[in-house]
Amino acid sequence: MDPRFDVPRRAAGGSGGSANSSPALGAQSRRRKMPPRPADFKLQIIIIGSRGVGKTSLMERFTDDTFCEACKSTVGVDFKIKTVELRGKKIRLQIWDTAGQERFNSITSAYYRGAKGIVLVYDITKQETFEDLPKWMKMIDKYASEEAELLLVGNKLDCETDRIISRQQGERFASRISGMRFCEASAKDNFNVDEIFLKLVDDILSKVGTDIIRKGLSNDDGTKTQSRFHATLLSVKILCRSGHINSDSVAEL
Amino acid sequence: MDSNQESKDGSDRSELVSEDGKNTKSVLCQRCGCKVLCPGMAVFAEKELFLPAMQKKRSLNSTGDSVDGDTLTSHWLVDDMYTFENVGFTKDVGRIKYLICADCEIGPIGWHCLDDKKCFYVALERVNHA
Repeated sequence: MDPRFDVPRRAAGGSGGSANSSPALGAQSRRRKMPPRPADFKLQIIIIGSRGVGKTSLMERFTDDTFCEACKSTVGVDFKIKTVELRGKKIRLQIWDTAGQERFNSITSAYYRGAKGIVLVYDITKQETFEDLPKWMKMIDKYASEEAELLLVGNKLDCETDRIISRQQGERFASRISGMRFCEASAKDNFNVDEIFLKLVDDILSKVGTDIIRKGLSNDDGTKTQSRFHATLLSVKILCRSGHINSDSVAEL
Repeated sequence: MDSNQESKDGSDRSELVSEDGKNTKSVLCQRCGCKVLCPGMAVFAEKELFLPAMQKKRSLNSTGDSVDGDTLTSHWLVDDMYTFENVGFTKDVGRIKYLICADCEIGPIGWHCLDDKKCFYVALERVNHA
């Protein structure tokens, strides 16, 4: 039995209306003073793509530089918890790198299931990694939540001279998939890597957050709103939490 | 048990552990300073755990025989992995996942057993406090 329930559902497009006003930004100015703040959000992000495109480097690079070969080459990193601050919120990311499981069907569906963000990576110098993209999309369609934010990353921008896949090709691919963003990056030069994750998190927050936060803030009268905001934050947390792979499912993996 | 170590570390320990048994300081990576835990987020716990040596190639590649490492007894314990600010988990070694620095990946700094989903240990001796 899985206590997981569906991720926050939004009025699906429908009566769009005042969607632009986004009072969620006001949240920033309303920061409360709170003692040790665990985290406002918990999001799970997975990095997928064909072998050798640099998934692991992306995960490491988002983190920092230097790493020690010791642990890595022997046991390998399974996943990481990383904390970022965005829009005045503290967000815990659980980042999964799927290196070593590149054969499409060998990645367990559990990876996809809870993911709020999926980073799909190809190598701009390797045609086949780009041609694999539709297969990866099939996996995403099959297993991932429809709510998951997708980001296509053309990696190895540092090898510009060996480029085979043009930026336009990448853009075109992404544009055909609704809601998929695109960027190019270099894990080696650390170009655009932090941005990738922050962008993705920002998108997820917009998606997951605004509806609920907007509701909470809708009547704009000072102090009352504040406690309301607090309450809504909590509910966001619960919603997010329901989606992640928790330690229970880690055990299954 | 291991009263030597106790008395040796006793004085620093009172600086690190609050009256209610929590960490008074931030827990940081010894090498890169990456923040593992915020103050007050973990409780002090004693448990004998074997951690392979840090910075040693193949030290985790436990094929049984001579795994270099230490049996450590003083740990910071948290019950939810999302309590960590930053941390990495290795792939399974038997039923164990070792904790490493999320940034520089030095480790193991801690220990998690898949059979006990609510226990994540970080060894005091393998982290800095500030």
